[in-house]
Amino acid sequence: MRKVNIKLLSARTGGALALLLALGGAPALATPPQLPAALPSLSAPADTATAPPLPPDAAVPQPVRRPAASHLRELRGQHDFQYTDVREEPEQAGFWARLLRWFFRGLSRLFDTKGGRVAWDVILYLLIGGGLVYAVLKFLQVDLTKVFGRAPRALPLAYEAGQENIHALDFSQAIAQAEATGNLRLAVRLGYLQLLKQLTDRELIAWQPDKTNQAYLRELETSRPTARAPFAELTRQFEYIWYGELPLPAALYAPVRESQRQFGQQLSGAGVRPPAA
Amino acid sequence: MDPQLSTDDTLPPTSAASLPLPATPPDALLTDAPTPASNTNSFAPRTDLAQLTARTEAVRTQIGQVIVGQQDLLQLLLTALLADGHVLLEGVPGVAKTLTAKLLARTLDVPFSRIQFTPDLMPADVLGTSIFRPAQGDFEFRPGPIFASVVLIDEINRAPAKTQSALFEVMEERTVTQDGRTHRMASPFVVLATQNPIEQEGTYRLPEAQLDRFLFKLNVGYPTLAEEIQILQGHHSGFGGTPLERVKPVLTATDLAALRQQVGQQRVEANVLEYIAKIVGQTRAHKALYLGASPRASLALLNGAKALAALRGRDFVTPEDVQFLAAPVLRHRIMLTPEREMEGGTADEVVKTIVQSVEVPR
Repeated sequence: MRKVNIKLLSARTGGALALLLALGGAPALATPPQLPAALPSLSAPADTATAPPLPPDAAVPQPVRRPAASHLRELRGQHDFQYTDVREEPEQAGFWARLLRWFFRGLSRLFDTKGGRVAWDVILYLLIGGGLVYAVLKFLQVDLTKVFGRAPRALPLAYEAGQENIHALDFSQAIAQAEATGNLRLAVRLGYLQLLKQLTDRELIAWQPDKTNQAYLRELETSRPTARAPFAELTRQFEYIWYGELPLPAALYAPVRESQRQFGQQLSGAGVRPPAA
Repeated sequence: MDPQLSTDDTLPPTSAASLPLPATPPDALLTDAPTPASNTNSFAPRTDLAQLTARTEAVRTQIGQVIVGQQDLLQLLLTALLADGHVLLEGVPGVAKTLTAKLLARTLDVPFSRIQFTPDLMPADVLGTSIFRPAQGDFEFRPGPIFASVVLIDEINRAPAKTQSALFEVMEERTVTQDGRTHRMASPFVVLATQNPIEQEGTYRLPEAQLDRFLFKLNVGYPTLAEEIQILQGHHSGFGGTPLERVKPVLTATDLAALRQQVGQQRVEANVLEYIAKIVGQTRAHKALYLGASPRASLALLNGAKALAALRGRDFVTPEDVQFLAAPVLRHRIMLTPEREMEGGTADEVVKTIVQSVEVPR
């Protein structure tokens, strides 16, 4: 079928050419339309005695105007009138374009069969359904890991580098060294850290670098209520000395250190057992 | 409130011998553990906190006549009062945000004003305006309702940014500049603002610059079942009348100034200062945060911790104080990334992970 861009033709070559081509494309209009037989006759009534005779037809038929051959050639040469699709030659396309074309052609061949179309529909519905389920679960903030019967993994905490590893420190030596250098405040701190290590070893508290002393006291209240009160007092002493920067003369240091030692001995003694699992 | 307050920590230091020792079962361990009580007198605050404890306890008692529960909220309000900070109270309607703020204001013997923020409120309605006096031929400044010692701004997020920005100067610098003249606010000057997190219609998000000026943002939650029953019982047994009338002023401006001076002298060890800086610094590098906390947040955490330590009967700050205040100080100063928000994350969760990631100095 001829494709005629009437609007474009009108714009470029004027209304006359467009009209000409349109008339040429509709030859039926050249002959007068035949009236159906069923229609009533439009001829004059039988009594024509009073009607004047019609004059003879003096009209001269106009010849059909044809555009000049050169003008047609010029129009055909214009890009706007080139109606054939210009396809890119495969060898001109880049690697990525050729790869995509190959992929989509393969995909098209795969899904162009009856089975392929069914499979495509199933995949589409599965994707839509999965997306809806995911959106609902996300909206309800459901933890999907619990669906499979396990608790969410505790991710390792990104701790800052600790000042000391209480499990690797030789407390006896470090405390002795602090006492020898007269750094009694440090000695009290090390003594307190040693108690925390002992409590951890006995599984009375769970050591974590982000926990405060009060957090350990709360844990101790659950795991070993009888140890809480003496440890609370040792904690108070440590906090006054360490955080409160309380001056610590030797006279005050001795009983503090002795209290720590006694508590440690109680923890290490035969009477202290780890809580039942 | 999210942070759990250690009840023991609120007690003033006592001798270990007076600590309530639990009943010892026969096979208990550490039955003969000697309580280190020989030198406990040395471990007491070096500054006399008795006045501070007595005054704040009086405030608690007064408010406790009306408000049931909300002990942590009250603790944090008193902390803010002693730390010279403003408080933003956020909670659903009906959890006594406004009432608590009004009661706290009533316990203070200082000028109080209340401003109901509305969408058509103008800055001059808050700060004041200059009026021409024909007789004198000059302008006279008429102070607005902000000129009080305790200002309750109800539904603060109902006013547009234009009105909110009028509060910037007065909240931070305690001055109001108008027509080239600077008017200094009286001391104390505390803004207690409330907002409702649920309603979106007719509300405006507070500018970050203004949020940063609040020392704490406190989430006011629902009462427990026991507390709610107590509320009902109190109401049923003829609680009627105006509850404000039952509360009497127990703290003057002079008293408060003295207590604040005492709080300012609290000791903070260098490692605790570093701990505060690390926590706040982590908010600026956290992948779930679009905006971290400013140095003003570090100062707020420090000042708040000093006040809280004093309320807990200590003259020095511990990491426990810092951890307790981390969420109230930081939750309104940080902004989650859009991805984190879409995942349903909250500022409190991020603050918690940040606190967990920084080692407690010990």
